[in-house]
Amino acid sequence: MIPMSSHRMPSTTRDRLLRALREIVGAEAVVSAPDELRVYDCDALTTCHRSMPDLAVLPSSTEQVAAIVRLCRHEGVPFLPRGAGTGLSGGAIPSQGGVLIVLTRMDRILDIDVANRTATLEAGCVNLALTRAVTPYGLFYAPDPASQQVSTLGGNLAENAGGPHSLKHGVTTNHVLGATIVLPSGDVVRVGGRIADRPGYDLTGVFVGSEGTLGICTEVTVRLMPLPQAVKTILAVFRNLDEASNAVSSIIARGIIPVALEMIDQETVKAVEAYVKAGYPVDAEAVLLIELEGLSVEIEAEAPAVEAACREHRCLNVQVARTEEERALLWKGRKSAAGAFGRFTQNYYHQDAVVPRTKLPAVLREIAAIGARTGLLISNVFHAGDGNIHPLVCYDARVPGQFERALAAGDEIMRVCIQAGGTVSGEHGIGLEKREYLRLMYDEADLAAMRRVQRIFDPTGECNPGKVLPEDEDRKGEAP
Amino acid sequence: MTAVWSTVLANRLGADRVLVGGACARYRLGNLVPAMVASPTDEAEVADVLATAARDGLGVVPWGGGTHQSFGRPPARYDLALDLGRLNRVLLYEPADMTITVQAGIRLADLARRLGESGQFLPLDPPLAPAATLGGVLATNLSGPLRCGYGTARDLVLGVRVVGADGTITKAGARVVKNATAYDLSKLYVGAYGTLGVVLEVSLRLYPLPPSERGWWLTGADLACCQEAAGRVLAGSHLTPIRLELLDAEAARACGCQGARPALLVSVAGVPEAIREQERSLAAQAGEVGGVIGPLERPEEAWALVRDFPWRSAPPFAGTQRVLWRGAVLPSDCAKAMAAIRGAATGAEMSMAATVSHGVLRGAFSGAAAEALATSVARARRALSALGGYLVVADAPEAVRARLDVWGPPPDGIALMQELRRAFDPRGILNPGRFLDGI
Repeated sequence: MIPMSSHRMPSTTRDRLLRALREIVGAEAVVSAPDELRVYDCDALTTCHRSMPDLAVLPSSTEQVAAIVRLCRHEGVPFLPRGAGTGLSGGAIPSQGGVLIVLTRMDRILDIDVANRTATLEAGCVNLALTRAVTPYGLFYAPDPASQQVSTLGGNLAENAGGPHSLKHGVTTNHVLGATIVLPSGDVVRVGGRIADRPGYDLTGVFVGSEGTLGICTEVTVRLMPLPQAVKTILAVFRNLDEASNAVSSIIARGIIPVALEMIDQETVKAVEAYVKAGYPVDAEAVLLIELEGLSVEIEAEAPAVEAACREHRCLNVQVARTEEERALLWKGRKSAAGAFGRFTQNYYHQDAVVPRTKLPAVLREIAAIGARTGLLISNVFHAGDGNIHPLVCYDARVPGQFERALAAGDEIMRVCIQAGGTVSGEHGIGLEKREYLRLMYDEADLAAMRRVQRIFDPTGECNPGKVLPEDEDRKGEAP
Repeated sequence: MTAVWSTVLANRLGADRVLVGGACARYRLGNLVPAMVASPTDEAEVADVLATAARDGLGVVPWGGGTHQSFGRPPARYDLALDLGRLNRVLLYEPADMTITVQAGIRLADLARRLGESGQFLPLDPPLAPAATLGGVLATNLSGPLRCGYGTARDLVLGVRVVGADGTITKAGARVVKNATAYDLSKLYVGAYGTLGVVLEVSLRLYPLPPSERGWWLTGADLACCQEAAGRVLAGSHLTPIRLELLDAEAARACGCQGARPALLVSVAGVPEAIREQERSLAAQAGEVGGVIGPLERPEEAWALVRDFPWRSAPPFAGTQRVLWRGAVLPSDCAKAMAAIRGAATGAEMSMAATVSHGVLRGAFSGAAAEALATSVARARRALSALGGYLVVADAPEAVRARLDVWGPPPDGIALMQELRRAFDPRGILNPGRFLDGI
């Protein structure tokens, strides 16, 4: 487990804050009882120590968030935002205590502009709720993280969330046009917006993916996309991972960009079949789930080309979903992979590196070798189209030494991926746990540039402290 | 001092890489000619030049293809033009990854040629694209008709390598197509007009060249009718245009369209069956608004003219002075904005076009008197402002520039932007005074 600092604010400060917070948001919107605070002691990252906030507060307006932030600044206590708490990198864990600002009550959709294909909503609005609200207009919101049924747009923005369909449509940063941000000073600033290319630095671009360390987003304006005329989902079964990986490159080399291109390895197929019976063949070493989207005539022309690319790489079988039910079933297998492993193994450690697509076969072989060396089961179910792999290292925390071995295996995998020209995270973010890995990618000068930006937004370092950037080597030992 | 600096630079880069005196005239900005021009050939030399410049507080103007140096105010100090045209190599190209890493001084035409050999392309087509360098396109964040289908530089840039104002080299982002690894600083350099650092290398996302593309013009009663058609194409049909441009009558004529009517130019790409279906759908949409469509003759030529409007392909006006501008409103307001400008800027001849999918406008004013032109710009700016938009002057004679602010009112967040500038370039050596107030 990664150790947490245990400093807590003095009780007199806490009492004073409690009174002031109640004044800002009303007594019922402040959480102070320890047993009620416990639900806020972690997010979906399970390999970290839990840590409770001193207080949690559920504001219902930008003005309230600004007042809370000003109060925290005045008292010199740390504060951090939280959406649905589905983050996989610990970004919403109050590792240094302080005030947790929970945005789930700010879930209104403020505006849907069909003609201009935009929506403006509060940060606590749930991803899928947005898509449901705009479906009647023939529109959808493209980024679709696995958590989309519960995760909030504010959280998606903070993590620059992706999803299976980001291969064609891009990730959150490609769809956020602007945001209202409460800066760590308590000032409110509106960045970007619906009008294109306003002169000035791209503050929106820097803020997206900043994991709640540059301020608290309270409203988001996003781009919506027209629903496609047709969708076709194809399952291709391969003898081995190499051939499946090569088929991925071959599909794309034909000029086809599927909307999703997911790879599922044999261990995952077995786990999934035992869990939801999606109809995946359990004897295959790799399964590709390929989805095409567009005009009917277009995907009718593309599907045979996809099939040919798979056959070229000796695929054993190709299955096309004929009905919406069949399509949903094929996706159910993919989407329930992590849940299936929850039944299959005591614990798992989920990674999120990205490698250049052509390096996939080599990287997957290395990962298999790491699994063999450490004696841990490492499964792979991931976004093959964009090279975003999600190795799942299975372990049993009750067995002494297994957790450490799992972390060490994770560490080795990370090094292999970065060596191959990849990055630490594709869509989960850095948060609490992967900070030190940044040094594998970025040298001190690169990190210094990031720190420079962080200090402009948050000069006192109280906005979600201890996240994203590794500790500054030059400042180690200085008073915090 | 110039003699000292030029000797220092010549010692470092070689005498043939440093120009002084009359040879610098090609790098003129308005009335200003730099004292020196340095043409480094690798990143260490760029770093050296900037470290030297920072030490003495020189004003440095990074220079790519020079196609859009007319943007911005005149530099407050212009000691050195830093010509990056020799940093033009392809560093890493793996077609199967559909990514490429190149030096920023590469010209778009050269990049396109290289990518075309592998059936791929970079969908960035700003005005005067062939001669523009990638670095210059990023600095200005200019886009062209292809924006409709593919977005802008900020969607295509995966990572950058940058020399800071103190000569320190840093990188941001990576060369993979998906990345959530700490702050995405590559976004900061796009559209920063070179004020936060000099971009050396860029990793980009590429696309496959479509199997085929076809274009049409659509005309109707007036601009509003074309706008209505565009709205139907974008929402309410299954058309997936990769280019969608709204042109007023003058712009349509300048771009070689038949007749003297406003037009909507549309282009779709894909397999032939899909193109035929989209043509039928487009004709139906046109019919709904009382318009007609016709095929674009010589589409490549037509799109190049539209792309370069109003830079290269402005209509022949009588006026002797010309102002080029760029702006934006909501996509659905393009025709309204163009009509509002025509109503407001009565003192000039004009023509306008819009990338209607994104509400990005561009146009030219022409007239004899600087005073009247400046007034036209001010009125057009007010008209766009009333629609929530803005207007930026892209090019204008000195006499007109003297009478207006090319950028217009500062955006929200200007205080943060000013702090970023101070933190990244404390001595203000990069393009000093050219961008927004205090930047």
